[in-house]
Amino acid sequence: MTRKLTGIAGRVAMVTGAGQGIGRAIAERLAAEGARVVVNDLNPDTATEVAEVIGGIAVPFDCADRAGVQRGVQVAAETLGPIELCVVNHAYMKMAPFVDEDPVDWQRTMDVNLKGALWVLQTTARPMVAGGYGRIVCISSEWGITGWPQAGAYATSKGGIISLVRSAARALGPRGVTVNAIAPGVTLTPQLQVDADSAGISYDEMVNVYARDVPLGRLGRPTDIAAVAAYLVSEPAGALVGQVISANGGSLT
Amino acid sequence: MGPIAIVTGAASGIGASCAHVLTGLGFTVVGLDLRQAPACARSIVVDVSDAQAVDDAFATVERELGPIDAVVAAAGYYERIDILDLDESAVDRMVAVLIDGTANVGRSALRRMLPRGRGSICTIGSELGLCGDADAAHYAACKGAVHAMTKTIAREAAPLGVRVNCVAPGPTDTPLMTTEMRDPSYIASLVLQRLVEPGEIAHMVAFVLDADGHNLVGQIISPNAGAVV
Repeated sequence: MTRKLTGIAGRVAMVTGAGQGIGRAIAERLAAEGARVVVNDLNPDTATEVAEVIGGIAVPFDCADRAGVQRGVQVAAETLGPIELCVVNHAYMKMAPFVDEDPVDWQRTMDVNLKGALWVLQTTARPMVAGGYGRIVCISSEWGITGWPQAGAYATSKGGIISLVRSAARALGPRGVTVNAIAPGVTLTPQLQVDADSAGISYDEMVNVYARDVPLGRLGRPTDIAAVAAYLVSEPAGALVGQVISANGGSLT
Repeated sequence: MGPIAIVTGAASGIGASCAHVLTGLGFTVVGLDLRQAPACARSIVVDVSDAQAVDDAFATVERELGPIDAVVAAAGYYERIDILDLDESAVDRMVAVLIDGTANVGRSALRRMLPRGRGSICTIGSELGLCGDADAAHYAACKGAVHAMTKTIAREAAPLGVRVNCVAPGPTDTPLMTTEMRDPSYIASLVLQRLVEPGEIAHMVAFVLDADGHNLVGQIISPNAGAVV
């Protein structure tokens, strides 16, 4: 039973990293719920493609660039009106053994995933606070809770997002803005190819390896995560503050 | 007739709110409670700590209405007793209602849902089961037990097609609220500086039960106005 959630239709929603994978599914779901969607991605081509499919606007920028985030959010607000719903979804991942971590990759991971989440959160929250209403959701990861071999930088940044979300939730809750996180388990996205390449196996083999540990018997689908994100930005979710919702088919409970 | 849901503790508070919201979503809701549940299409008077009575009620529902699609285990009560004064009867009663009651409802539901390979169950935990409660150690301990039970059931049931999750409310504006929890200084300590509305719990429960669209399994989700972050 799919039903309309209240508090989404007519509002402006921004999704970062929405050119593919989970972000794209979230943008599609929010558009289906009636939101006017700002489709962000680093890649202007995929952002434009998704925006055209869902009837939103493409606003490409690099979330690691604070000034760029501020310009992008301003452009979006001038075009569609103030952003009241924001899903911070963009991410960067390379896999490597912890001791051999390339400093440039490590820094890029923190810049994009952790600092980038802060810049987007901070930039979109300011007008939400002024308007007295807002919903922000950050996409963390199961690996941000458990850690994961060969994914030290990614897991570290995603664990940081959880603490960032809890802090932001405490700071912004009294001002009308809720902030929560989703920690997806392994999900069927193009990012899985990075895992497969690191393990030296095919994408399909990688899917089977990961699915073995999931009680639900299958990996997550982008639409699974999008459903949770849509609920978290809906109006009845207002009592959820600084929570981390693990959407993982039971792989971590 | 829409899908069939059983809600325990449906006569008041969070259970009544769940019954109301699920009814609005098209469910035929059967309330199980110690007294009549006026918000429900059908009401069966039962004590959830009585396993046989619970199973008889489930059997009656399936015989008269059809297969049960969704179950909310919301029956419970709260009382404040200093930990040094907790006696066996107070502890036993809490264990019987919260732990055994949830287990009884879970077993009766799973016995019917697992062979069919479908169905969804939502238990009701508590924010206090996550962080403890200096004034109600027995309640907090039993809710913590419900959380662990939910995770266990969920891992057993998910491979067979049945979803189990838990919603763990924070301080919710229901008849269970004590005067201490209505104290302005307590409310000011919450991030949102307000209590949780029963409807906010009920909508969360309805979302969790609707297992077609998401992959939540064995999760403890806590709408708590910032009581536990």
